[in-house]
Amino acid sequence: MSRRRRVSTKNEEKMLVELKKELGPQLIEGYVQRPRRIHIKVNPGAHRKAIEFMRDKWDVWHVSTITGIDLGEKIEVIFHMWKFKEPQTAILVRTEVPKSEPKLETVTDIVPASNFYEREVHDLLGVVFEGHPNLERIVLPDDWPEGVYPLRKDWQPPE
Amino acid sequence: MSLVRIPVGPQHPALHEPENFTIEVEGETVVDVKVRIGYVHRGIEKGLESRTYVQGIFLSGRICGICSNCHTTTYAMTVEEAGGIEVPEKANYIRTIISELERIHSHLLWLGAAGLEIGFETMFMYVWRDREVVMDLLEAISGNRVNYAINIVGGVRRDITPELAKEIRKGLDYLEERTNYYKKLCFEETTIRKRTEGVGVLDTVTARKLGAVGPTARGSNVKFDVRKDDPHLKYDEAEFELITWDTCDTFARIVVRILEVLESIKIVRWCLDHMPKKGDIRPQKIIRRVPEGEAYGRFECQRGELVYFVKSDGSDKPYRVKVRTPTMANILSVPELLKGGYIADVPIALASIDPCFACEDRITFVDVEKERKWTWTKEQLRKYAMEFNRREGRW
Repeated sequence: MSRRRRVSTKNEEKMLVELKKELGPQLIEGYVQRPRRIHIKVNPGAHRKAIEFMRDKWDVWHVSTITGIDLGEKIEVIFHMWKFKEPQTAILVRTEVPKSEPKLETVTDIVPASNFYEREVHDLLGVVFEGHPNLERIVLPDDWPEGVYPLRKDWQPPE
Repeated sequence: MSLVRIPVGPQHPALHEPENFTIEVEGETVVDVKVRIGYVHRGIEKGLESRTYVQGIFLSGRICGICSNCHTTTYAMTVEEAGGIEVPEKANYIRTIISELERIHSHLLWLGAAGLEIGFETMFMYVWRDREVVMDLLEAISGNRVNYAINIVGGVRRDITPELAKEIRKGLDYLEERTNYYKKLCFEETTIRKRTEGVGVLDTVTARKLGAVGPTARGSNVKFDVRKDDPHLKYDEAEFELITWDTCDTFARIVVRILEVLESIKIVRWCLDHMPKKGDIRPQKIIRRVPEGEAYGRFECQRGELVYFVKSDGSDKPYRVKVRTPTMANILSVPELLKGGYIADVPIALASIDPCFACEDRITFVDVEKERKWTWTKEQLRKYAMEFNRREGRW
């Protein structure tokens, strides 16, 4: 095993316990995948609480990106947070929204770096981030038809 | 004074990533900047979903020409983690060597281009001449000058022989000598200092809040390097320093990149010293199917933190691949960086984040009050910038 590679997940487990305590029943599941990778799944809406808690408690300002995944009936949104301070860890906050009404509250007021990533998920998967200051087109062309979301599984590129 | 809106971009025939910046100016001073990206959105995430892992690795390399190796490495690493695929030790050394050589080539490319932006064309000529050395090394290892395509899922395509290692060391000695010269030049040459000091300032707190990455963040004194914080490949063992600079301006970004080239040379040498002489570099059989799983991969690309998220479902195609390139993270900082500066400093301040700078080629100036329109090419803007700086005695 490498010299400096951390193998213990003690710190991550401790952080997960703190998150569980803070979120209570709002946290659906949480696990430590490996050193520096914590996954938590929360109810829609509770993602704000989770991210705000991380920012205030652990100084987590860095949003690496936001991933949207089409799961069929639902769309999963993953916020990839990165904790700068020791022990450094990536925390993946997941939440699911129904595809029929994909609405989620924005986190731009908590962590401004999420601004463009929310716009990207909105553009490509149609998740509406409520309260976003400027939820306009970002990657698709201006003349792209409304209501067509290319990263959803039911969309296929034209032949 | 009237507010004038200047659309910068989006067309640029020579470099990648066209972008559009609408810059609002009052006199010479930039008041606000609006960014519109997406002109080269090619749907690669969707493309990766509909291609096999074997094909996907080559498609991911096409995301960017300058950092093609970062993309294939991160894609391979993330897929391997999602599927629990073991990588031979020697392959990790080769991946590290290619990644660092690529960083050297990219930083030198940027340094030359930055020289061009500030009108220091001699530096551009010298740096690009020296960059050929590292391009030749990359070609000798991988067979290609640009899209190295060294990675496959589970390993690498080509081995580094002892003779090749000797050649790499020779090339590194030359590059080290030249880079030390550029370091000296950067601190002593007034042309560079006067044109870059205090230009495009991004303070530490803003850089952190807006999620700046790579040399842009490190130039703003943010200690953020994925190679140190979230070690992958051989970076946890290799000896190197995390470079930061505290002046937070364009000059800081130049210094960080030059010093990082020297660190990269150290890492490549370390890898050559410690690389196992024998051993596999790839699995015996091509891996077509990847077991179900998901992984979140991070990599320190030359422009900053590169992020991949892969969800596999047991078939030969990924269910979802998410890519976030470093420029996407840095673009949010651009308005902050330009605000309060001069129009003449827009080219170098924009270029200082190394955004595959795409935009400055055709600029339409619109005077809102007089409804007058005219167009400047990049050359005209550069000429204007030089005349302005000469007039202001900054050159």
